[in-house]
Amino acid sequence: MTKLIRIYKPFTRAGILEMITYRVNFLFFLLGEIMKCFVMFFVWKAVFDSSDSSTVYGFTYDNMVVYLFITFLSGYLTYSDGSYVIGKEILDGSIAMRMIKPVDFDMCFLFQELGTKIMQFLMIFLPITAGVEIYRWIVNGTPMLDFVMLLLFLFSMLLAYGINFFFNLSYGFLAFYLKNLWGTDIIKGVIVDFLSGATVPLAFMGVFGQVLSYLPFASLSYTPVMIYMGMYSFKEIVFYLGLQIVWLCVFVLISKLILRSAMKRLVVHGG
Amino acid sequence: MMKYLKLHTIFIKQDLKKLMEYKVDFLLGAVGFVLTQAVQILCLGIIFAAIPALCYTENGVVVDSWTFHEVLFIYGFSLIPKGIDHLLFDNLWGLGYWIVDKGDFDKYLTRPVNSWFYVLCEKFCVDAFGDLIVGIALIIYSLCAMPSDIAGAINWLRVIPVLVVMPFAIMIFTSIKTATAAISFWTKRSGHITHMCYMTNEFAKYPTKIYNTVVKTLITYILPFALTAYYPAIYILRGESFWSLPVTIFVSLTLFGISQLIWHRGISAYESAGS
Repeated sequence: MTKLIRIYKPFTRAGILEMITYRVNFLFFLLGEIMKCFVMFFVWKAVFDSSDSSTVYGFTYDNMVVYLFITFLSGYLTYSDGSYVIGKEILDGSIAMRMIKPVDFDMCFLFQELGTKIMQFLMIFLPITAGVEIYRWIVNGTPMLDFVMLLLFLFSMLLAYGINFFFNLSYGFLAFYLKNLWGTDIIKGVIVDFLSGATVPLAFMGVFGQVLSYLPFASLSYTPVMIYMGMYSFKEIVFYLGLQIVWLCVFVLISKLILRSAMKRLVVHGG
Repeated sequence: MMKYLKLHTIFIKQDLKKLMEYKVDFLLGAVGFVLTQAVQILCLGIIFAAIPALCYTENGVVVDSWTFHEVLFIYGFSLIPKGIDHLLFDNLWGLGYWIVDKGDFDKYLTRPVNSWFYVLCEKFCVDAFGDLIVGIALIIYSLCAMPSDIAGAINWLRVIPVLVVMPFAIMIFTSIKTATAAISFWTKRSGHITHMCYMTNEFAKYPTKIYNTVVKTLITYILPFALTAYYPAIYILRGESFWSLPVTIFVSLTLFGISQLIWHRGISAYESAGS
């Protein structure tokens, strides 16, 4: 373990430095993305105003607001760029440079991205959760923050990031076969967003949503968010965390298998 | 002017040839865009299943309301000016993200055409057909599915002034992209600023009245995307807010002037990157 950390620490450092260099770009990008949350914030307000009851599918308006912003937060922090980066390296052949070095190919990516994630976490976690908690405090009259839930949320988010990373890694290897990145990446993003409940809570989709909550996509963002909101009982939390661990193992395995078979097909021209 | 039109046609032809070469890429890109919109509309459907109509209330009193089909119409309409701008002038994104940063901008300055025009028309972005197809489909669907009392109240002559204003609405998108992309002449990269401003247009897809004063002012006067979507759409549907049409022309021309000013200032400040 210590050997692993010793080898890959420089990659994490590189990720941190990269993030520091482009921090302004990141913040502008973030401001643009969070705009979508504010759009839905107003749309949901109008929806709740239009509804006769104060809950819609079991969610109150302030539940919905918390859901929107925490989903955004966890979506952002657990997002992995692997499929795009790897696909690009496969297509332009620079992947060969990685393969001749005595380090594990996927671990390089993981530790480098962890570096950027640490910086992103430091930059956005506090402002967003603080904002959400202050909002909840004002609406409910008492502070709602539960530290045990917060810790479980962080743990669940870590698992979600792992799943996301290895899922994307597997997907990125498809570039060996598909040779198209941009279009397939958009398609993947949309499907994952929908199936993971990032656009509309799975609870709104009835039985279909119930089924979706067992799929790996729900483990990507729905599970941590539900834990944060205190929507799950203790039993459910244990079950869904266990499910996340299972999916993590499955995707680690799949990515190893795909990598092994894909390497045989890899053709790099020139260099 | 004729020379520029001719040049633009040549560029479009070039890009269509490229398209024929990479058919799958084009198809996947367009499918991606169609899917993005389809999922959003599905979500709208799920939301609307819980309520009869989207209402705007003040102190608990319903002031205005929109049915599901009206919201779909506004949503579909918002995709049209956005899609046309995306189709014709997409290259401005590249400017802010990598063209200036990599030092590729020099090329545009050495040709005997206006540099802004050259950047603008170099790329014909066929992915935009995804947006346009969904937009048109939504408009047609919502009109057909609307209850006949709403659809019957539409005066089709109102489409004419909206069509007249349409180029100005498109120019709002192009001007905002130009102004923010031109910042890269000083900073080398500004794609993220373009992204931030452009995302404001998400607000325009829904009835503007549901937002608070800050957002309303922002999307009507500062980054006036509401003028490209909600106002013209509701004018067609109900004949409301005719005032917005002349305002669109005025605001659009002002933005165009500002963006050209920034562009020219930027060009004089520009120093090539790289070696």
